[in-house]
Amino acid sequence: MKPRSLTQSMSSLHTWCGLLLGWVLFAIFLTGTLAVFDRELNWWMQPELPASTATQTAAVETAQRWLEREHPDAATWNISLPTDRSPVLSVSHGEQRRGERTLLDAETGEVLEARQSVGGNFFFRFHYTLHMPRTIGIWLVGFAAMAMLVAIISGIIIHKKIFKDFFTFRPAKGQRSWLDGHNASAVLLLPFHLMITYTGLVIFFLIYMPAAIDALYDGDRQAMQRDARATSAQQEATIARGEGRAEGQQASQRGEGRAEGGRNRGERPVEAAPLLPLADFIVKGEAHYGVGMLSALSVSNPGKADARVTVRPLLGSRIELTKGESLVFSGVSGKVLQSPPPSRASQLTQRVMAGLHFAQFGGYPMRWLYFLCGLVSCVMIASGLVLYTVKQRKQAKGSRVFLNIAERLNIATVAGLCVACVALLWANRLLPAELAARGDWEMRVFFGAWLLSLLHAALRPVFLAWREQFYLAAALCLALPVPQLLASFPTDGLRLGVDITTVALGLVLGWLALKIPALADTHSVTKPRAARLAGAQQ
Amino acid sequence: MTSTTGTTRKPWLDALLRLPLAILGGYLFTYTATAALARLLPVERYDAALISTLLSFALYTVFVLWAFAVHSLRRVLLGVALSLPLAAIGFWPQLLEVLA
Repeated sequence: MKPRSLTQSMSSLHTWCGLLLGWVLFAIFLTGTLAVFDRELNWWMQPELPASTATQTAAVETAQRWLEREHPDAATWNISLPTDRSPVLSVSHGEQRRGERTLLDAETGEVLEARQSVGGNFFFRFHYTLHMPRTIGIWLVGFAAMAMLVAIISGIIIHKKIFKDFFTFRPAKGQRSWLDGHNASAVLLLPFHLMITYTGLVIFFLIYMPAAIDALYDGDRQAMQRDARATSAQQEATIARGEGRAEGQQASQRGEGRAEGGRNRGERPVEAAPLLPLADFIVKGEAHYGVGMLSALSVSNPGKADARVTVRPLLGSRIELTKGESLVFSGVSGKVLQSPPPSRASQLTQRVMAGLHFAQFGGYPMRWLYFLCGLVSCVMIASGLVLYTVKQRKQAKGSRVFLNIAERLNIATVAGLCVACVALLWANRLLPAELAARGDWEMRVFFGAWLLSLLHAALRPVFLAWREQFYLAAALCLALPVPQLLASFPTDGLRLGVDITTVALGLVLGWLALKIPALADTHSVTKPRAARLAGAQQ
Repeated sequence: MTSTTGTTRKPWLDALLRLPLAILGGYLFTYTATAALARLLPVERYDAALISTLLSFALYTVFVLWAFAVHSLRRVLLGVALSLPLAAIGFWPQLLEVLA
């Protein structure tokens, strides 16, 4: 009648977390890892576009000339500047910031045609919504992140010999190897796993835990935002004048009321006034954010006396996540109407945590670090999933039916998702460029490939299904640069980087597929040594 | 033996009862504790709301771990019941309004 020990109860909690959400977590981590290079993938997925070499100043002059000629009466102009990660100029007009974009050659002002694609943005959105309706997706991902956090801490409690485990790896020893692999990948990057999970929760913290707002602000988020801004006297003066108010609330309101200011002004007559050259505002913006640190510029009411120019920084000019931040100028006089107030300490804490998750700071070395750490997280989750089934099979306890389902789902989640991701890239290359709703078709290929891999996993023997799907993913990765070479699209560093990385990942997947026979000796239940090891496990 | 409640039960049944208590009860506990903390922190209103919310995920994690570490389910239930006094602290102005 001995009460179960702490290690035992933590071990059962750890297993429950993995069982309930391990599969979802793997999908979240893999797509999140790929989303580190979302812009690079966007660029790769529109291979017709030539990289612009024009400066941002030259580009914005081109954009202004084009917009003044084509859309002089638009309520708003939006100009997305060419940057290192996304070297193309694009413009849009009208109320929506994310409407139809027109791609322009930054030097000549010619309209560029490129295939429609979901781009790397697909991985980014999937990472936090799982391609579900936004609210449901965000909650499910948040729930999975909590399970991850609990799994990490309970995992630490189980492993008292945490440092010894780090140096222990017994390859090709069946279950032992899986356990060692799981431990090593978990312990090696423990700070990263903890950081990325907690900061992930912090991004949507007020959605997940509205308790404090409910208690102190009666659930009124805007009242809270007003409190945040109240510190800056200059800000208050701006709000009192009613200028730039719509802009300031963008971060909190996401879309609604975005163009409110512009529309209201349109009702009363405002006299025409020439807009200053937009290149001036690049200089002003760079003076505030640093040279090369701007990403976009928008103009509301161009050509009117109340024209306003908003300059947006590149995410990642600092660790703090500056999403929605901007500088607002008068388009006629060039005076600053609104500058972002410095964040107060508590707000800065949240923004730095969110920024740590978004990984927009520190340039490419940091981006690669996040990518590699993310891959190790994926390995940790996948090895944990496999370890569970290997252990169950050895101990021959529990339901065989469930074990069978778990094994199939492991294959479809781990190997199948790898196949689906690279299938999306292939769809981008192979689908006809002029196909209508092409982005939707790319997604259909992604989900179709994933579904097929589940079917394949259900029908084939477990060990062969693993192997075949990894081989398929490897082959698809290795051959991915071929269509690019055949079509002789313009190539540049960014696209070459995507190709080389994919080929490298293909080699890793191929190596995994080759190694599977050695790893899979654990599937024979007959070995007495294996049974003894499994018994010693707990 | 009366003290064996929670240890003699079948493991899967125990987990089946413990999981909802940890997940839903834990959320309730964290929600009210966050509200109470926000109310009690001696800093400006905005900072109090942010600090307590940022800490809430750690609190939730600790509650779930505790709910699995504790032997008797009755104690987990007691832990969840702490939500009542915490809610009273966090929401006392709203509570007074309702009572008035």
